[in-house]
Amino acid sequence: MRTLATIATVLVATLALAACGGNDEAAPTTTTETTETTTTTETETTETETTETQPDAPTVIRIRVVNGAPRGGIVRETVRKGDRVVIAVTSDVSDHVHLHGYDIMRDVAPGQPARISFRATVPGRFEVELEDRGVQIADLTVRP
Amino acid sequence: MTLAHGIGGVRDLPVPESFFFTTAAIVLVVSFLLLGVLWTRPLLERASVGRLLPEVVGRIVLSRGVRVLLGAASVGLLVFTIAAGLFGTSLELLNFAPTFVYVTFWLGLPLLSVLLGNVWSVLSPWRALADATVWVLERGGREARPILEPEQRFGRYPAAAALFAFVALELAHPRPALPRTVGVAAAIYSYWALAGMAIYGRDTWTRCGEGFAVAFALFARMAPFAARDGRVAVRWPFSGLAGDDRTRGALAFVAVLLGSTSFDGFSRARVWQDLLGDVRAELVGSSGLVTDLATTLVNVAGLLAFVVAVVLTYSAATAAARRLVHAPRSLVPDFVLSLVPIAFAYLVAHYFSLFVIQGQFLIPLASDPFGRGWDLFGTVDFAPNLTIVSPETVWYVQVISLTVGHVAGLAVAHDRAVALFQSRGDALRSQYPMLALMVLYTVGGLWLLSQG
Repeated sequence: MRTLATIATVLVATLALAACGGNDEAAPTTTTETTETTTTTETETTETETTETQPDAPTVIRIRVVNGAPRGGIVRETVRKGDRVVIAVTSDVSDHVHLHGYDIMRDVAPGQPARISFRATVPGRFEVELEDRGVQIADLTVRP
Repeated sequence: MTLAHGIGGVRDLPVPESFFFTTAAIVLVVSFLLLGVLWTRPLLERASVGRLLPEVVGRIVLSRGVRVLLGAASVGLLVFTIAAGLFGTSLELLNFAPTFVYVTFWLGLPLLSVLLGNVWSVLSPWRALADATVWVLERGGREARPILEPEQRFGRYPAAAALFAFVALELAHPRPALPRTVGVAAAIYSYWALAGMAIYGRDTWTRCGEGFAVAFALFARMAPFAARDGRVAVRWPFSGLAGDDRTRGALAFVAVLLGSTSFDGFSRARVWQDLLGDVRAELVGSSGLVTDLATTLVNVAGLLAFVVAVVLTYSAATAAARRLVHAPRSLVPDFVLSLVPIAFAYLVAHYFSLFVIQGQFLIPLASDPFGRGWDLFGTVDFAPNLTIVSPETVWYVQVISLTVGHVAGLAVAHDRAVALFQSRGDALRSQYPMLALMVLYTVGGLWLLSQG
């Protein structure tokens, strides 16, 4: 009997926990969730219609390196898989900007900004850093 | 180069909240259910004996020829790695050494040990070199004796220190993947292993001082194979974790294993990255060396904090268990081995994608180890597939490995309790604090994976 009672209590607790975490975006009300889903479907249909007529606008990540460190801290950006991304870095020190994972490296120097343009085909999290100094300047998340 | 995490290009996306909550709930339910219905008689100790395989298997697998062959290959790899590190290109991703050490070696060997047993006893280059030296000496008619008497006082503390040094290199050093750093570290560690064996004796040092040997031996206890008296035995997985571990420093060692992987996860969290950023911002005027030193110290402090946290939480749980059953002595040695599956699960959860993605780079790197444009095996044009595992697959591997590790740890602890205590009531009562501890570690591990 005691075991049965414990199991019952635990099951109820589990359901409560699982329900609490069931919504991916942790939305406080279910209405918000439904609105989100409808918006996404709408954008998706518009995208397929306009891919031929309009190139998708790239997400631009601007980083200013001052004294060898990113101004304002590490720049964090999230994009979706397939998005075009441009990383624009201006620096007051000479170094190499390295985008991990995609493994793209460009030189940067005072008066010579670096520009990395690519399509985010691989999902994951990627660091952008100044290679010589080993300082991280940006953190790019590519959602699947 | 990735800042403080060894090597790696693609990092995992944080586990989504839904995965986190659902898995945490499953972990809790399974734990309580198991506790209620688990076995009443100790099973693992008897199962750890296993069933002996036919003699011929032992004669082939454990033969001298195989030992010599594998040992020689291993020593060759060690020398090769040090050479690549010291003389190859300084670009981490184009040099054989960093990927080999941090991915193939540090992640591959635990996996191999869990699957096949204590393969490191045959694969260790340092053991092979020591054995070869002894063989040569004895051939020459001289007796090979360690310089000092075997020291049992140290327990596992030297090994814990050695392992701590390695994980500190991987997680706290500002440029851990720099080939030169890897080469020098491998050379220093070789000195540590060989000198220790020369001074204290091969077996003693392998059990007490060679950090990797101790770690891989612990993982090997989970394997379905074991060697006994020149024969190979098959047994239930995890049964090798039966019993207690009374060696001094056993807890410290497992704490280093568990604490290091947790810290790796924590150091990716925004709060820690921002802390490091603040430290660097404070020292913006100082030289690079001072900044590097400061960030290293901060990272070492964080790593140490996590190791200490494991020791403290485990000690608190066993102390509570002791109070609950009025045990006459400390219960610390009794449940240490139940943490090993959790430590392995942490390793899998945090490094699975690194192993699978960066591990592929070993193929082209093997052909051009020094980064000079060679093509030794014709594989230099191999293009690793960075999308070989989807983020969703990674999430599933992470939560499943943590859940399985948790359940295995619980089962091992339960078996130990049942073996230790006469009354079933005592055994169950002692498990409540252990259950809380394991839930803490597992849910904590899940939380770390959901950070970013």
